[in-house]
Amino acid sequence: MSTKTEYEKPIPLKNGDNQPYWDAADQHELKLQKCAACRSFIHPPGPACPTCGNPETEWELLGSDISATVYSYVVSYRPFLPGFQHDLPTIITVASLDAAPEVKLMANIINCDAKTVKIGMPLKMTWVDITEDRALPQWVSAKE
Amino acid sequence: MATYSNQCAIVGVGENKRSRKSGATPLHMALTAARNALADAGLEANDLDGIMNYSTGGDSCPSHELATFLGCHPKYVKDVSGGGSSTELLIADAVALIEAGMLNTVLIYRSMNGSSGHQVGRGYDPNMLQEMLPGGSFLMPYGTASPTQWFGMFATRHMQQTGITKEHLGHVCISFYEHAQRNPDAFLHGKPLDMETYLATPDISSPFNIHDCCVELDEANAIIVTSAANAKNCKSKPVFIAGMAPRTTHSNVHYWTQVDEVASDYAAAELYRSAGVKPEDIQVAAIYDCFSWVVLRQLEAYGFAKRGEVGDFVAAGNLKMGGLLPSNTAGGMLSEGYTHGMNNVLELVRQLRHDYKETNRQVKNCELGIATGWAGPDMAGAMILRN
Repeated sequence: MSTKTEYEKPIPLKNGDNQPYWDAADQHELKLQKCAACRSFIHPPGPACPTCGNPETEWELLGSDISATVYSYVVSYRPFLPGFQHDLPTIITVASLDAAPEVKLMANIINCDAKTVKIGMPLKMTWVDITEDRALPQWVSAKE
Repeated sequence: MATYSNQCAIVGVGENKRSRKSGATPLHMALTAARNALADAGLEANDLDGIMNYSTGGDSCPSHELATFLGCHPKYVKDVSGGGSSTELLIADAVALIEAGMLNTVLIYRSMNGSSGHQVGRGYDPNMLQEMLPGGSFLMPYGTASPTQWFGMFATRHMQQTGITKEHLGHVCISFYEHAQRNPDAFLHGKPLDMETYLATPDISSPFNIHDCCVELDEANAIIVTSAANAKNCKSKPVFIAGMAPRTTHSNVHYWTQVDEVASDYAAAELYRSAGVKPEDIQVAAIYDCFSWVVLRQLEAYGFAKRGEVGDFVAAGNLKMGGLLPSNTAGGMLSEGYTHGMNNVLELVRQLRHDYKETNRQVKNCELGIATGWAGPDMAGAMILRN
């Protein structure tokens, strides 16, 4: 089934704060941390709410149908980390979620001509299986 | 309310010879810079009762080690993890300690083998970065390991919103390279830049090509701060610290959630209030220039040009000699060298002392200058100096 090509890029390291996010990603779902008091989303996840300081947080499953727009982006023509030499140029975007525009998620835009990227461009989330048990959230153009 | 106004002064500045490969440790380079600053001030090592230093990822030597081999015994040493804006903020700490009566004379230094050792711009071990940087696991898997990319994310949106073009970035680079041609100690002395060459240079990471990025070198700089009363006994002409402002912004240290504001926007008002001056009073500037766009963004923040008009301001030659705001007149970090901001402050001090009098390097009759530090979009430190 899967090819035996070794994945060279950094694999997200799970820790006590971010594990639910990456566990959900492995299941091709988006799950975000939320403050139990002020209800703000917390991203990246952490030990308390950056908006109000409350330490009680919970997780909200947003599912697998995630749309967003490009908030800002860069196009890198050199690899700054291992593995990216195979994927140049690399498009990196910070995208604003349609369901919660204050939440911005950084990822690559894959399968996309760098010249076509613009602020405001509509995106959809996809998940790329990078190892047997890990998957990485990425963006693709919603126009495809 | 406390005021900085002219109660402390910079009385000595010094550096080592910058290069691609120093063949020396940060300690050796720091010793050279410190001895040169002491000689500039006409002070002895034993006159120092405070020594402070900043570093990134342990790339420097500790202050106590420097003190050891200067052969002095300061009361107080302090080593912080820092970067752009640490020069200004450690000077602020020194001023506070001097005004509190705890210290008399403080040496602040930055020493780094930025070329032959640890390069900020070329990436670190990815797993170390994931663990070290806040939210690192949300950056590294996507290849986001360089400040070119981190700050580029702010630049792309700001340029689109305010009409700044690639040519405008080029004018910043060309202006600073032009200064470097008058400075034999600038790393890019003898290598002028024109717009045609600039625009033909491919991007490393948009919107930045190699000219938009600072020159990482092996260098050490040192600055000596003392009270205005002590300054009278020094050999050099004192440059007084007229105002200062530190500022941190962004509700999340993972600051890409909000790229429409930077800490400099907030530091500016406090800075001018502390010094009792306005942007139009400033005659010479040291604008933190890790990347060309960072200069443009700070010109807007510190009120030198209105939002939307910053590109025209630099295209009109205002950063050059004879312009409204001659800036980074030794070439800046884009072409003199990158000492994490401190070399621009050294040059500002020399301009305000009129060290270049009767040469084409001197900004005529300058009395008031600004130094702006940028540790990132979320952290700024700035000061106003006067002669």
